Amino acid sequence: MQAAQIIHAHKQAPWRVQRQWVGAFLLAVIGMAMIAALYLDVTARAAVTGREIQELRTEITTIQQTNADLETQLANMTSTIEMQRRALVLGYRPVKPGELDYVAVPGFFVPEPKILLVAEDTPPQVYSLPPEYSQSLIEWFDERIRFGGAR
Amino acid sequence: MRQQYAIRSLILVACLAIVGVAVVVQMIRIQSSEQAQIFLSQGDRYAGEFHMVYPERGEIYDRQGHLLAGNRTVYEVGVSLSEMGNPEAMARILSSYLGLTFEEVYDKLTNSPESWEYIVVQDYVGAETVASLQALMQQLAETNDQRLSGLGFKPHFQRSYPETALASNVLGFVTRDGRGYFGIEEKYNDLLAGNPVQVWVPRDPNKAMEIPRVPNGTTLVLTLHRDLQASVESILDDALFEYGAENGTIIIMDPQNGEILAMAATPRMNLNDYGNYFSLYDNGSQYNRSIGMAYEPGSVFKVLTMAAALDTGTVRPDTQFIDTGSIQVGGITIQNWNRDAWGQQNMVGCLQHSLNVCLAWVSSQMGSQTFYGYMERFGLGHPTGIDLSGEAMGRLKIPGDTDWYPVDLGTNAFGQGVSVTPLQMLMAVSAIANDGRMVTPHVLYSMVRDGHQYNVPSQYAGSPITAETAHTLSEMLAISLEEESSQALLAGYRLAGKTGTAQIPTDFGYDAFHTNVSFVGWGPVDDPQFMIYIWLQKPSASIWSSETTAPVFSKVAEQTVIQLNIPPDIVRSQLSNH
Repeated sequence: MQAAQIIHAHKQAPWRVQRQWVGAFLLAVIGMAMIAALYLDVTARAAVTGREIQELRTEITTIQQTNADLETQLANMTSTIEMQRRALVLGYRPVKPGELDYVAVPGFFVPEPKILLVAEDTPPQVYSLPPEYSQSLIEWFDERIRFGGAR
Repeated sequence: MRQQYAIRSLILVACLAIVGVAVVVQMIRIQSSEQAQIFLSQGDRYAGEFHMVYPERGEIYDRQGHLLAGNRTVYEVGVSLSEMGNPEAMARILSSYLGLTFEEVYDKLTNSPESWEYIVVQDYVGAETVASLQALMQQLAETNDQRLSGLGFKPHFQRSYPETALASNVLGFVTRDGRGYFGIEEKYNDLLAGNPVQVWVPRDPNKAMEIPRVPNGTTLVLTLHRDLQASVESILDDALFEYGAENGTIIIMDPQNGEILAMAATPRMNLNDYGNYFSLYDNGSQYNRSIGMAYEPGSVFKVLTMAAALDTGTVRPDTQFIDTGSIQVGGITIQNWNRDAWGQQNMVGCLQHSLNVCLAWVSSQMGSQTFYGYMERFGLGHPTGIDLSGEAMGRLKIPGDTDWYPVDLGTNAFGQGVSVTPLQMLMAVSAIANDGRMVTPHVLYSMVRDGHQYNVPSQYAGSPITAETAHTLSEMLAISLEEESSQALLAGYRLAGKTGTAQIPTDFGYDAFHTNVSFVGWGPVDDPQFMIYIWLQKPSASIWSSETTAPVFSKVAEQTVIQLNIPPDIVRSQLSNH
């Protein structure tokens, strides 16, 4: 009987009730901190990736411009006037019809112009962003709960 | 005591709660106020920007893959005014690098409207200049020098023509606003330019949106043969100099499919400097005389008259005609080019000596209805449909027109009183070189887009004459060249062709001192692989086609057989027997 009274008194001790409140409050704070940390982590990763995308996009544009520049430079270096000048410097001269020999080569076909061979019959690529860059935190949680870590 | 503390605590809690609630209420009030929308819209303004993504303009290649029109990177040089430190120093440096005056740059930097944050100092600046400026910026930044702070460069494409003036009359050019003018650039402007797309690009990396892929403009492959084009342009320039002609044009076409292999015309302009356009041309029709300028062709037209006469059975190659030196048509006397009587001639002789009287008699024998019916079937008076902008139609007067007179039946037979473009003549005569089938000339070989190549099929524009007529007339023209020992002949190759010397009409009758000289020919006669049309305007060294365009034809034919790897007739027959 006395033991029961002691237990009852212990359960109703003011410091014990306070500790329960503090515990619950701390639990809530820890929970919120975890969510905040998770949110920060996801947001930071998304920000870094977003910045990388922007940089890659700039890089793509730069490479396209470089490609176009190089192609034009190559065309300048192999232009008719330039090739004629270089040929003359090397001691070549225009050929006359009587100086040409024609030989029948079985199985030989005049090669197709290069530009026509470059163009391949490939289907156009479809680009799309992964869901990490567009889904909300709640959608991400939902996906993880339903499908686990693997996708 | 304890109760007193409790009351104080409750009052404190209540006060704090009221403050907290007040803060929340105020937050809600601010966020839902009218001003909030203004703040939000101001924030949105800096959240990102609309970008117009312009696709790279499609390239243009010749049939062998040589780049005729491409793109190069140039820069817009601008200054962020809020970041600019010393406008005077900035203006001094930029003016020396960009070739502008100090006052010009300084005025831009200091007198721009207050609302402007960025100002363009100069656009289309070359990569070399920008590289020099960037190096200088780096040097200054290392010493913490602020003189070029705020300077920025925005790259973009500019049209570039590696061959400068080569085939300029066919290609056309693109101005800084991205629009094509003349030739291929204008005709296929929409395909080449592609479709620009406007996209919203957020600055917040968390909102990285997917920018839609903007496909480049369509790449075009032309039927032109670059090296042959260069050779023909060189021959044309030499001919203008040698014969003192004002201008000229030479076209080479494959008579079997209508592919234009070369199309040279004068004057030509450096396409990288299209500002010269107004100093070179008085009007757009002069840009490409091959298609844009109609003229009276003269005796080359006799080929068409004879084709119609042979096809209707009005004459045969051995039909005899006694040339008395003149003939009356519609009450007007028509004479030969030298006013002589050439006596008894067959139809080969009529073509060989280019007898106006004979051909006027031939057209009179056919009658106007038959003659003009054939001329319309040859496509005269209508555009050829070539895929180049700026084509002229020419003029074929027909009975019933207010300005048609009976004498026109006689004069039209030898190319007087009818106007055509060089390309119209070439297209019409293609029926004779191609078994009676007339081809539609075209410059586009294929289009390349998204990795797919679309070849342009050849088109035929009808069969005005039979294959038999075409073969007969080809043979007659080949014989007439051979018997005449024409300067148009090329050793080793059998060619067919016809000269044309035409008086030039003016407001006061025909010019007594100048002519237009032309030549149309093709070869090899047994398997035509090229057709050539030449027109020289007002040659001063000689007024006769036989002394001007005929030797030019031989030179062009020589280059054509070399560049297209066409063996001499005897070698070709040996190779075909293998």
